Amino acid sequence: MRQRTVRAWIGTSCFLGAVIIGLPFWLPLDATSQNLQFSLQGPSWSNPLGTDHLGRDVLSRLLQGGPRSLGIALIAVGTATIFGTTIGLLAAYAGRWADALLMRLTDLMLAFPGILLVLLLAGLLGGGPLPLIIGIAFSHWPQFARLSRNIAIGIIQEPQVEASQIAGLSPLLILSRQVLPLVLQQCVVIAALGIGSAIMTISALGFLGLGMQPPTPEWGAMITELLPYLDVAPIQVAAPCFAVFLTVLWFTLMSQALADQAANRVPT
Amino acid sequence: MAVFYLIFQRLGQAALVAFVLATLSFVFIQILPGDIALRITVARVGIDQASALEVERIREQASLSRPMLLQYADWMRSVATGNLGRSFVSDRPVSEELVTAAGYTFRLAIIAWVLSYLIALPIGIYAGLRPNGFLDRMTAVLGATLASLPSFLVGIGLISVFVLMLRWFPPAGYRTSAHLVLPAVTLALSLLPASVRIIRNAVSEVRASFYMTFARFKGLTRFRAFRDHGVRNAAIPVVTFAALQLAFLMDGFVVVETLFNYPGLGEALVKALLARDIPVIMGCSLVIGTLYAIVNLAADLVVVKLDPRRMESAVL
Repeated sequence: MRQRTVRAWIGTSCFLGAVIIGLPFWLPLDATSQNLQFSLQGPSWSNPLGTDHLGRDVLSRLLQGGPRSLGIALIAVGTATIFGTTIGLLAAYAGRWADALLMRLTDLMLAFPGILLVLLLAGLLGGGPLPLIIGIAFSHWPQFARLSRNIAIGIIQEPQVEASQIAGLSPLLILSRQVLPLVLQQCVVIAALGIGSAIMTISALGFLGLGMQPPTPEWGAMITELLPYLDVAPIQVAAPCFAVFLTVLWFTLMSQALADQAANRVPT
Repeated sequence: MAVFYLIFQRLGQAALVAFVLATLSFVFIQILPGDIALRITVARVGIDQASALEVERIREQASLSRPMLLQYADWMRSVATGNLGRSFVSDRPVSEELVTAAGYTFRLAIIAWVLSYLIALPIGIYAGLRPNGFLDRMTAVLGATLASLPSFLVGIGLISVFVLMLRWFPPAGYRTSAHLVLPAVTLALSLLPASVRIIRNAVSEVRASFYMTFARFKGLTRFRAFRDHGVRNAAIPVVTFAALQLAFLMDGFVVVETLFNYPGLGEALVKALLARDIPVIMGCSLVIGTLYAIVNLAADLVVVKLDPRRMESAVL
């Protein structure tokens, strides 16, 4: 049953992701062309969510901003997961001074306020996707290193790992076949949460004017741009707000489903 | 003895964080695209007044034409002596600006933190005493919702209801204490989901424990059993997390201060980043980074004090 819930989550996510990425190719979206005559118009057939202060179509901007933020979040958190898990497994398997050294490094990174790093990178290097990816990946990897190291240390002490070592299997094979699957099962839980928080960070930076630069459509930046017109254009402000909220909520709930599954499966 | 080792180690960590931050911000600035002197001039005198002559004057004044390594050495020496230079934009000493800003941030953070626990404690305890009851399930749903809302959205929501519709509070600024209410509530709400969850779990775990069953067998009332045997045990994870949350607040205040135009450290940092006011950027990140490390140290000390068994894992 649990297994099926998680499959349903992942299946639906992939489907929705494909639709969201596919839509801009299918719909006649136009996120950047301005028409000042039709600024701040309410919803209509040609502009289902109305237009912004420069007369641009809000729905188009919404749909084009989404895949970009999602892509940045996925790449950043994916990088953090791979890097963090590798560090964690290495530390757990090597033990002794390598473990101490790598975990000190992790501690040091955890002592950094995450948002500060992203702010400095994005704020100083300009708001392209790359500074955001680097900043988010950097502030997320220590969690994965810490978690995977703690899980891996427990697994490595179990008899089947010792048996494989005696049988002469290479450390790489043992780590990838016997340790990694169980580690990943826990890591995907925080990865899903991490994607949600990355999307919040990206939109917060856009909101502060330090993220993606205009005229690139980005949800947080759209909110800032339209906020002065809140009383005349509530729908146009609410649309990107809801987009951020629903996306993050999606990943929060997905992480809960993954956590339930991980908790219910008997270890090894 | 081990406590001193812990303090020493964490202070060393804080110093290292400060050093890395100072170096990083310096490196970032060197690889910046564009002419820094021009940006500063524009920020200080406005785009119309920024003549080539003025740009050169400011380049000399801020000693931006000197070799990179010398600038780095200068910067490090002055940081070590507590002199953070002057703001490029306002021309006031950075340390002076930061002390004022830190005071504002500190006040906001403490109020928000206390407020969030005033709300979280009753809800969390009640939900924990009746796990899977109506209120428990309600808080789980509300918690997931609130946790998915970035703080600037919560702030915008509060502004549109209480400022624009009801006109109960002034929109932005810092002059009266009424200005503090909405930013504090926004920050408090961002802390709420996690703290309610922690309190709820701690209480429900204690409730199900053997020593509580024993206390009830002994003939204590439900209330006395909880007061005499439950509260202290449930407090350990809660207090630990509460101390850590003071550090999490730092993530929130940058956005919230900017949204409400509240003159704290976060707002100063964002403004400085937008204006490329390098001394202020460096000063802000230094202060925020070290404050973060100090708050973490305080959290560790609280944990060890409450539960000495944690000493080993804290020192590790």
